[in-house]
Amino acid sequence: MLSRTLVLFQLLVFLAATAAMPARAAMVSTGEYLAAARAEQSLGAAGAALARADVRAQLTALGVDPQDARARVAALSPAELAQLNTRLDELPAGSSVLGLIGAVFVVLLILELVGVTDVFTGV
Amino acid sequence: MLATRIALLLPLLVLAAGCTILAPVEPPAVAASVELDAVPFFPQDRYQCGPAALATVLAATGLPVSAEALVDDVYLPARRGSLQAELAAAARRHGRVPFPVAAGEEALVAELLAGHPVLVLQNLGLDSLPRWHYAVVVGYRADEEHWVLRSGRERRRRESLRAFRRHWQGADRWGLVVLPPGQLPAVADARDVVDALAAAEPVLGAEAILPGWTQASARWPGDADLAFAAANGLRAAGRAQAALRHYRRAIANDPQHAAARNNLADLLLAYDCVGQARAALAPALAAVDDDDPLRLVLAATALEIEQAVSTACRLENTQEEMQP
Repeated sequence: MLSRTLVLFQLLVFLAATAAMPARAAMVSTGEYLAAARAEQSLGAAGAALARADVRAQLTALGVDPQDARARVAALSPAELAQLNTRLDELPAGSSVLGLIGAVFVVLLILELVGVTDVFTGV
Repeated sequence: MLATRIALLLPLLVLAAGCTILAPVEPPAVAASVELDAVPFFPQDRYQCGPAALATVLAATGLPVSAEALVDDVYLPARRGSLQAELAAAARRHGRVPFPVAAGEEALVAELLAGHPVLVLQNLGLDSLPRWHYAVVVGYRADEEHWVLRSGRERRRRESLRAFRRHWQGADRWGLVVLPPGQLPAVADARDVVDALAAAEPVLGAEAILPGWTQASARWPGDADLAFAAANGLRAAGRAQAALRHYRRAIANDPQHAAARNNLADLLLAYDCVGQARAALAPALAAVDDDDPLRLVLAATALEIEQAVSTACRLENTQEEMQP
């Protein structure tokens, strides 16, 4: 009896929480289903909202216009969002910049001559 | 002095790198030669290979874009580069669907043969001292044993099999096939396609992605998630009978698919098929765990079924199981 009341109560909370959603309350959207099925890479609704705000702040801190940052974050998938949120600093940023100096330069030059790298022939 | 140091270092380096330098390179197991001459070229400005490579694959799908216009979409000034996830997100914002390219050089050749250029990440430096670069693979010449890329300021950069393999493997063989909605990559697995279409759906809209779902579901008829997603799209488009078939197929493929059972029950209920709705939902209700995130939705559907007044069902073939 207690569990039945509990389920009914949770059901009311759920219906109230989803009342504002355009989809029917009793339908499971593809996105909701995948968020549950791929739980290891999903953050949940509240977690995703926090992650979006956090990644937006990180992009802005890296020099992106705040309006652009908002639009850029909005198009990320939940998995991409989680990835950027946890390790944006470690992810490769393709650029072809040669931000190297001194000894490193010499080592690369040698490696280039030997044919191990292509730093100077690639643009 | 420097010359002596180099002279001393050289044998060491050759020794250290010897295995990679001397081992023969196996070409991809495809004899074909293909080059997509029509793929446009956007010479990159300093640091901005991300916008240039993205502009290349977007323009190849017929979009009028420029690399400059994409800078605000993908460039990170403080990192002087672009992130892989942001390239995918920007492709969606421009109405295209990015798919991860399947692993392996054979898959690259298959995409080229299908007319799809592939945006790839390359590491032009070392594992310990990476230098990341985006380029677009537009050709493979089996006869001359090289790849052709739109890269940096080179319209036709030719890379030997050995160089390309090192550059691409150094970046975990990451690549994107960017396609208009309704088209699928030549090589892919169903799970990647599910994730790629699901990621694009909120940005491009359910209507634009529906042809992708139905095609993918036809290509991988045994995949329950693709059938489920296609059914959701068909239901949203008002095609109830087709949605019913796809929900049935999702359940035939995976009888434990609670979300498909729930949505099928909801569809049946909307068309006054109360008994069939109850039958479709029952196995999911019986099997659901207390901590299952779908539990409350299932309970809500069950409640609606209990409150429904039984009238004549307005759908055909509601019991028919669609064979995978």
